[in-house]
Amino acid sequence: MSKISSVNREFIEDLNSEYISALNDFNMDSWLACFTQQGQYILTSEENIRRNLPIAFMLDDCYARLKDRVKQVMDIQYDSSEHYQMRHFTQLISAIELESGEIQTNFNFSVYYTPRDTNQTETLCVGKYEDTVAIENGKARFHKRVAIVDTNVLPRYVVYPV
Amino acid sequence: MSSRKGASRAIKWPAKTNHVPKEVFEMDSLWEEELEAIFYGEEWHPIVHRAEIPNPGDYKAAQLGEINVFAVHGDDGEIRVFQNTCTHRGTSLVTESSGNKKELECPYHRWLFNLEGDLIGCPSSREFSEGFDKKDYGLLGLRVEVFYGLYFATMSDKTPPLKEYFGESFYEPLQRLLGGDGRLNLIGYQKVMYDCNWKAYCDNDGYHGALLHKAFAMLNWQGGKGTQIVTKNGHLSFDSELTMPDHVDALEDGSILDFKGTETSNGSIVLMSFPITVYTKHMDMLNIRYSFPKGPKGVEVHYAYFSHEDDDDEMVKHRVRQSSNLLGPCGLISMEDASVFSRIDKGNKTQGNAIFQKGVKDEYAIPLEVGQTDETGNLARWERYRELMGFERSEQ
Repeated sequence: MSKISSVNREFIEDLNSEYISALNDFNMDSWLACFTQQGQYILTSEENIRRNLPIAFMLDDCYARLKDRVKQVMDIQYDSSEHYQMRHFTQLISAIELESGEIQTNFNFSVYYTPRDTNQTETLCVGKYEDTVAIENGKARFHKRVAIVDTNVLPRYVVYPV
Repeated sequence: MSSRKGASRAIKWPAKTNHVPKEVFEMDSLWEEELEAIFYGEEWHPIVHRAEIPNPGDYKAAQLGEINVFAVHGDDGEIRVFQNTCTHRGTSLVTESSGNKKELECPYHRWLFNLEGDLIGCPSSREFSEGFDKKDYGLLGLRVEVFYGLYFATMSDKTPPLKEYFGESFYEPLQRLLGGDGRLNLIGYQKVMYDCNWKAYCDNDGYHGALLHKAFAMLNWQGGKGTQIVTKNGHLSFDSELTMPDHVDALEDGSILDFKGTETSNGSIVLMSFPITVYTKHMDMLNIRYSFPKGPKGVEVHYAYFSHEDDDDEMVKHRVRQSSNLLGPCGLISMEDASVFSRIDKGNKTQGNAIFQKGVKDEYAIPLEVGQTDETGNLARWERYRELMGFERSEQ
């Protein structure tokens, strides 16, 4: 394990920005494009992680599941959910290069949401991302992004990935 | 069942049994009456399954109405439910939602209780009042009954025994939902706050018409034969086959819809116990939804998921994938239910009645025999609510 180069750090920051922009702009295809073909996305609670309980809020443990997540958001549940605008704020906490060449990163995040009916802004969740990132051809992609929310009781049902 | 003569007279209940006044969801002043008439009345409330606190010292905090309680696994193997308060000055004893303690010590004056609730130490007791006896100061225990590892508590001495209270039409499918023998392992929680009155939650979780679920049609998911049974005291059990398509074209990964079916059951069991709790077994997902009203507005729902002790690793993984992705506040199936709780709450801020139609044969009767897909299964629960709260029904 070693510290990462400033170039790789820039790749990681770019990837995180792409990820956030995709969600905040409701662009689920761009969200999917943040993952490798082996990509996984998991949204779970601090409580489940602490107690070693495998249930998650979202458990997309293969690329096919990631594609189904896009379909769920954009097609299957589009007309039944009450849409809300998300706004992510993140902070890179650590980035370490593994012997495999992958990079392990940690970000803190806070996510606010503004429903389109009340137009009042509230906190959706606060937590951390634990990522495994692959850098190929000068581009970073997530092998795995695990969003762990300290907000063990979510304030509402959650339509979009965090 | 006793009706309350002192309850709010502000609501005049419609004569038609399939009409429920919308204001019953929105009138904040009803909550205090509901606590006394229902939550602290002659009802059984699920608190914990043994699988959630499997070892001595394990505890889980919960609420019963507005009373903070906790269940704790004693050194003697028994699980008890106590009010979360020191019997001295009232300090809460457990401060986290779950954990493990060797004993229960109040930090304020160091009163010490064992896991069975006995007071075993209290410094300076020679200076206490004459006649002070530790035996009189054990933790405040609630009456508890257990059914295949699921512990229910009640605030009343008059509540009928558990099996009598539920009836066979409820407890028999509950046994199957608990894996047949109750030998379960906890695999995790999904916890969420729903923005609605507690009655809007329980009126719409559990079973409802499949039209809401666009996913069902997309997945070519057909409902099979089944039954819906209602008890006079408002419990509901829904038991049906699920006919799954051989191949799911709509999803890239259809494996989350596999039904491996190790339990002796049809594909789908939905149970609702009065006043608020839903229990489901869809395909391979074993789920109890502990529900805590937060006053007149807001319901905190803890979806607890289980595997069976006999599952192999592959089966546990399958249950985890299926449960995480189909149910709960983000699920492919039940996220839509959650959106309806919120939208119904907003829609109830209008005049008039919520109206039930599917399956209504007589608008002035309470149906106990209902069809599998009728929405009239909820009416016995509303009738019980009306009686307990003492609302008079209007003349025809």
